[in-house]
Amino acid sequence: MASYFEIELDKLKSIIEKIGKLAESQVSESVKMLLQEPEVAEGKSIKKTENKIDKLDIKIDEICQSIFALQQPVASDLRFIMSAMQISNEIERIGDLSISIVKRSKNIKEKHDLIVKFNIADVARQVELITVKTNNCFITRDGNTIGEIFVLNKEIRNNCEDAIHDIINEMKVNSKAVVSGTNLVIILKHLERISEHCTNIAEYVYFMVNAKIIKHDKFDNLRSED
Amino acid sequence: MKDIKIKVNDLSLYYGEKKALNEITMDIPANKVTALIGPSGCGKSTFLRCINRMNDLMPSVSITGKMLVEGVDIYDRNVDVVNIRKKIGMVFQKSNPFPKSIYENVAYGPRINGIKDKTQLDEIVETSLRQAAIWDELKDRLDDSALGLSGGQQQRLCIGRTLAVSPDIILMDEPASALDPISTSKIEELIHQLKEQYTIIIVTHNMQQAARTSDHTAFFYMGELIEMGKTNSIFTKPVQKQTEDYITGRFG
Repeated sequence: MASYFEIELDKLKSIIEKIGKLAESQVSESVKMLLQEPEVAEGKSIKKTENKIDKLDIKIDEICQSIFALQQPVASDLRFIMSAMQISNEIERIGDLSISIVKRSKNIKEKHDLIVKFNIADVARQVELITVKTNNCFITRDGNTIGEIFVLNKEIRNNCEDAIHDIINEMKVNSKAVVSGTNLVIILKHLERISEHCTNIAEYVYFMVNAKIIKHDKFDNLRSED
Repeated sequence: MKDIKIKVNDLSLYYGEKKALNEITMDIPANKVTALIGPSGCGKSTFLRCINRMNDLMPSVSITGKMLVEGVDIYDRNVDVVNIRKKIGMVFQKSNPFPKSIYENVAYGPRINGIKDKTQLDEIVETSLRQAAIWDELKDRLDDSALGLSGGQQQRLCIGRTLAVSPDIILMDEPASALDPISTSKIEELIHQLKEQYTIIIVTHNMQQAARTSDHTAFFYMGELIEMGKTNSIFTKPVQKQTEDYITGRFG
């Protein structure tokens, strides 16, 4: 029979899986809004999901606080709970950024043309993919997925930088593109941030599994060590 | 590890035919606190009692291997066991003051060691009780019976009594297990202060106490030393699965 402590840990794990899935749907929804024409975009469900994420984020904090105070966790339990608090924080930020993407994408005129011109759809799909991989990596705690996330994050960063560079050049020669271009640049920055948050989550999963802190270290050092 | 105080090599202990400790090899550093943890019957208290040859008092016990304290094998035939116990003091789970005055409890050891001078004894009593962090509480009632003190005070008095004969090493067998949280925290604070001068080895069932008080932790299971390392490592990333299972409460 599972102990009370183990039941609490399982509860925490399932809430993180749940909040992770919600963030995944937030990102997917915001990407959908971004790639659709403004008149099609609605974005109401994204706000509802955001409220659910906020509530679960608080719930995770409460459970972690109670486990720290009452159970004094050590070793892998301690790493799991420390990571849980950080992961929930990262997920909450992903939710906020998704909402911001939806808001910004409503203000872009001739969005379809710009998205095609600057290859935005590809990077948006990559960000969708990294959130799915991140959720799976927490659930399976699989080292290979962690590595894939670091690689994908690097690609996303490069693609965002390239797209931003192209948009800025376009704005230099075409003043009509400035408003939409600025919104697109901000959206790309948000997509890049979402990818970074996913990478941070992968780092916490790595810490949970391997008891090694790799923050600010990224994949290069990790790979050379392996 | 620098400055090894106690070096244990392949130490085994038998209670008759039963092997209670199996080839223990470990280094215990000087001026540090080393905690011995493990489930009941794992051999940690037996091991602790090996360090000042307390197991000699049991007729069926036999020991093989070496226990070197500052390079001297304490199980060597030429070693005087009384001198060992002078050098290696011990504090037990249950406080056990003599049915004498507070003063006499502390002065007893130095007196049987030949110190007769009252001024010198006074000095030893004061220093020892100060080191045991209980002087301010007891200085005005030194002639009262030690048995009238609270459990926590009695235990600190016993620590003071141990310090009075100037040991190098202090062994503590569950020193705070019968005490309330306030007295426990006083004992733990005391352990921190004492390690500057003494090498301390503590047996405890209280995992948080081991984590709070010790620099190194050794995990025993079924007479074997499973893992020893810095306390910080043992409680955050133990190497052995058995250690992880024990400290996270998933043993067995």
